[in-house]
Amino acid sequence: MISKKIVIVGHFGVGKTSLIRRFVEDVFSADYKVTIGVHILKKTVHVNDKEVNLILWDTEGTDDIEEIRKAYLLGTHGFIFVCDVTRPVTYQNIESQTQYLKDNFNKVPIISIGNKSDLLPKGSISEKKEELEFLDMLVSAKEGNNVQRLFEKIAKLLS
Amino acid sequence: MTEDEKLALLKTILLTDDREYAESITHKINVLEEILRERHRLSEKVSPIIKEQLDEFTKNIPQNLGPAITESLKIQIENSKDEVVEALYPILGKMIKKYISQEIKVLSEQVNKTAKDTFSMQGIKRKMKSIFTGVSENEIIISDLGNAKVEQVFIIEKGSGILIGSFHLKETVDEDMISGMLTAIKGFVEDAFKQSNHDLQSIEYDLYEIHLHNFHKYYIATAVSGTFTETLENELENFNLEVSQEINKKNLLDSREALEELLLTRYSALKFSNQ
Repeated sequence: MISKKIVIVGHFGVGKTSLIRRFVEDVFSADYKVTIGVHILKKTVHVNDKEVNLILWDTEGTDDIEEIRKAYLLGTHGFIFVCDVTRPVTYQNIESQTQYLKDNFNKVPIISIGNKSDLLPKGSISEKKEELEFLDMLVSAKEGNNVQRLFEKIAKLLS
Repeated sequence: MTEDEKLALLKTILLTDDREYAESITHKINVLEEILRERHRLSEKVSPIIKEQLDEFTKNIPQNLGPAITESLKIQIENSKDEVVEALYPILGKMIKKYISQEIKVLSEQVNKTAKDTFSMQGIKRKMKSIFTGVSENEIIISDLGNAKVEQVFIIEKGSGILIGSFHLKETVDEDMISGMLTAIKGFVEDAFKQSNHDLQSIEYDLYEIHLHNFHKYYIATAVSGTFTETLENELENFNLEVSQEINKKNLLDSREALEELLLTRYSALKFSNQ
C-alpha cells in the first residue's frame, strides 16, 4: 500500500476541517473550532484496484498561503485548495496562491474546490460553476456532496 | 325469685367475665398508650427492631443498591467531568508528589548503597569505567538502576512525515498519524527557532523519551522507556548508524516488509551496555 501526504489549505472558515471530518468520519458539526497549527488524519481509498493511504494534513486557515509554515508543506504529494463559494475574498487571489504552491513544491497536483455548495440557491449551482470556472469542483462538507469523489480524484492523480 | 331478680342474676352470670376481660383490655391499652407517650420506653421496645432492620439493610446495600449507585455515579461523573477533575486534581497532585518523593527516596537509598559499596569488585569496575569513558560515576549508577528499553522505532521520511517502516513491542495508536505529528512537531520547532541547520533531537513524553536521529532522506524516531542517560543515547546513536548503513546497503527504503524484518531483528536484540 502506498501512502500519500495531502495538505489542505485555504482561508479561515472555508471548511477545511469539516471537509476532512466528513471524508474520514462521515460527520459534520456546525460548531466552528479554529484549527491551531496542524491536525493529521488518514483514510485509505481504493482506486484502480490499488489501496492508497491518504495522510491528510489539515492546516490552520490563513489569508495568505505564504503564512503557512513551510515545514508543514514539505514533501507534500498533493494540495487541496479550499474556498468558500459564498465568500469571494476566499478565492479572489486563487491564481497567485496556487502559483506559489506550484513554484515552491515541485509542481505537485493541486485541486481547487469551492465548499459550502449547499448554501447556494437551488438551481443556481450550474450558473455558479460557470462563474467559478477556475475551481475544479464544488463540494458540500455539510451534505457530503462530492466529498468522496474529491479524495478519490486526488488519490487517482497520485497512484 | 321474681322475674327481675332472675334477669339480674342471668346478667351477672353472662356479663361478669366480659367486663373483667374488657377491663383488662382497657388496662393494656392504657399501658400501651403510656409506652407510646414516653419516648424512652418506646425506644426500649422499638430500637432493637430498627437496629436489626438497619443491620440487615446495611448488609444488603452492596447487593441491592450497588448497581444503582454505580450507575448514577457514572452518569453524574460523565455529566460533570470538569468538576470531578477539578476536585480530584489537588488530591491526585498530592498523591503523585508523595509517590515521586517516595520513589526518589528509594532511588537515593539505592544510589547511596551502591556508592558505599566502593571497594567491591563492581565498585572498582564502575570507577574504572568512569575514568575511561569520562561518564560520572553517579550517572553510571543511575543508568544501572533504571533499565532503558527501546519500545518503538519509526523510520520516517523527512518532510512528508510518511512512515517508511516501524518496530514496536506493544500495539500502539495509529503509526501513520504518530509519524505525521512527530514530523509536524519537529518541523514546527526547527522552523520556529529559525535554526534551519539544527534538528530537534528528543521529545520527552510521559515515561518515554523519543529520540530523533536524522539521516539524509529520513529520520529514526526511537521511543525509549526507563533511565535514558547520555551514555545510552550515544550507544543508541551508534546502533542507529549501523542500522542505517544496513538499510542503505540492502536498499530497503522501498520494501517495507524487508525493512520491518530488519528492524525487528536488530532492535529486539538491542541491549544497552548496563544490562
